[in-house]
Amino acid sequence: MKRFALLTKAMFLMHIRNRMTLFWNLAFPILILIIYRFVFGEGQVGDTDYMTWVAPGVVVFNILTFGLLSSGTLMVEMREKGILRRLQTSPVPASSLVGSYLLVNVLIGLLQSTLIVSFAVLVFGMPLTWAGVLRAFPMVIVGIVTFVAIGQVISGVAPTAGVAVAVGQVLNFSQMFITDMIMPIQAMPTWLQEAAPYLPAYAVVQLVRPPLLKGQFSSDLGFSLLITTGYIVLATLAAARLFRWSPKA
Amino acid sequence: MNETLIRIENLTAVYGHGARQVRALDNVTLDIHQGEIFGLLGPNGAGKTTLLSCVEGILQPEAGGVRIAGVEVTRQPQATKSHLGVQLQHTALLDDLTVAELVEVYAALYEVFLTPAEISAVLARFDLEDQAQKLSRRLSGGQKQRLALALAIANDPEIVLLDEPTSALDPRARRDVWAMIRTLHQEGRTIVLTTHAMEEAEALCGRVAIIDGGEIVACDTPARLIAGLDAYPVLKTACDVALAQAEGLPGVRMARYTGEYLELETSEPQATLAALQVLATTLGHSVGDVTLRQPNLEDVFLKLTGKALVA
Ligand SMILES: Nc1ncnc2c1ncn2[C@@H]1O[C@H](COP(=O)(O)OP(=O)(O)OP(=O)(O)O)[C@@H](O)[C@H]1O
Ligand SMILES: [Mg+2]
Repeated sequence: MKRFALLTKAMFLMHIRNRMTLFWNLAFPILILIIYRFVFGEGQVGDTDYMTWVAPGVVVFNILTFGLLSSGTLMVEMREKGILRRLQTSPVPASSLVGSYLLVNVLIGLLQSTLIVSFAVLVFGMPLTWAGVLRAFPMVIVGIVTFVAIGQVISGVAPTAGVAVAVGQVLNFSQMFITDMIMPIQAMPTWLQEAAPYLPAYAVVQLVRPPLLKGQFSSDLGFSLLITTGYIVLATLAAARLFRWSPKA
Repeated sequence: MNETLIRIENLTAVYGHGARQVRALDNVTLDIHQGEIFGLLGPNGAGKTTLLSCVEGILQPEAGGVRIAGVEVTRQPQATKSHLGVQLQHTALLDDLTVAELVEVYAALYEVFLTPAEISAVLARFDLEDQAQKLSRRLSGGQKQRLALALAIANDPEIVLLDEPTSALDPRARRDVWAMIRTLHQEGRTIVLTTHAMEEAEALCGRVAIIDGGEIVACDTPARLIAGLDAYPVLKTACDVALAQAEGLPGVRMARYTGEYLELETSEPQATLAALQVLATTLGHSVGDVTLRQPNLEDVFLKLTGKALVA
């Protein structure tokens, strides 16, 4: 247990001391919110103004990026540099290593999400209730786990950090516009509206946005949880099978 | 004494599959004894790192196996790994951590939890106490190498495996590392190190295995390996005497000229040199540029493999 704690602390420090990661994880999402304010600031989505509507989308966009890009790439980097191989010579089981890695990712994702939500409440006047917070943040965790698991599949398949980033970018941007995240799904063609619910990012958006905006889960809570759970189980199984300590020969 | 601690038996290791398969170790058998400094000496690509990887339990052998204190590495890797302290050849550190944090977490990997005072003590042994709060990415090459050693013993292991602990160090830093390795040995640890420098093997190792092309070609103390050559020290000097006369000097086994230099293979270099000086004086010549070259592991390698150790 103490070993797990120290390993987690080390990984946490590595994350937050990396200036690049810090910028992309903490400053960038806020920057996005500010840019959206200037570009789409006046719009309405249903009975909600756009900035309030999009803030939960930015929360999800951020953990999506984090899971697919930062988290996956860091693992590939540790493998390429031989750090994982050095860890493999110690008696620490792979499960502890991956567990502490996941825990750090969840902590950082929560930190980022708190930052974005606070910013949206303070600057854009997003109405937020404690009931909403208590419902939304567990769903944020579900989202982080989903995306980190998918990120680990990518890092298991990708031969180099460069490839991992490229694959992550594609999955990231392709989901950005079509999952009700930063553009309302109603604006999409019908066939997309029908397909989108099966995408992981769409499910997470449906889990996170209603409690943040209305303090309540939506009626499709069960379906969205089913989809995310499906992705978590499949991705975890695949990631475990694909896990490698050293680069491919 | 001479109790076997690491037993390597009929070990064969391969990389890759099919046509691209490389046989990195071929039926290697070795015993490493409790409390010795054991050297693996061989050129690039000989299989040194591969052999250590099998002992470390991070490479699955194709055939044969390794036992550490009687326990098979592939059967109980957690147990055998706990005996080891490891420094890999291509060291990469978690470079956003400080030196002290690294020692703490690397020890913790082995369920060894150090107090701040113990961490300082480990760092002091490797002359790193002033760097404790530095990020490891900011260390010099020599400091990184010493940190790698510190991390290898942070868990107070019984066995220390060092893969080229002094490569890329200047001569002085190299001697410092040698002294540190000797201290680890004096504390009763068993040390296995790899090197392609014969002077390193001679200076540090109680026994040496010479490895080439994935096979052990010889294994013994450096002194016995050299003695086995039946070679004599060579006295080399710029001196102009007839070969027949030189051959008659005391101790001389063989005399030859290489260029201007007279080379004398001799069992008694001192007596030979003294007699040579007397002879030269009577002939009115001088004896200049005297060097004495002892046979070394380089010669052993050359004789056993027909190749030079360092290309
Ligand atoms: N990951 C790998 N994939 C394929 N072949 C490898 C791999 N690692 C080593 N080899 C090959 O196995 C052989 C032994 O390599 P090894 O690294 O054990 O040599 P070494 O004695 O440590 O050499 P060096 O002194 O250069 O470190 C070499 O022919 C090498 O090319
Ligand atoms: Mg090597």
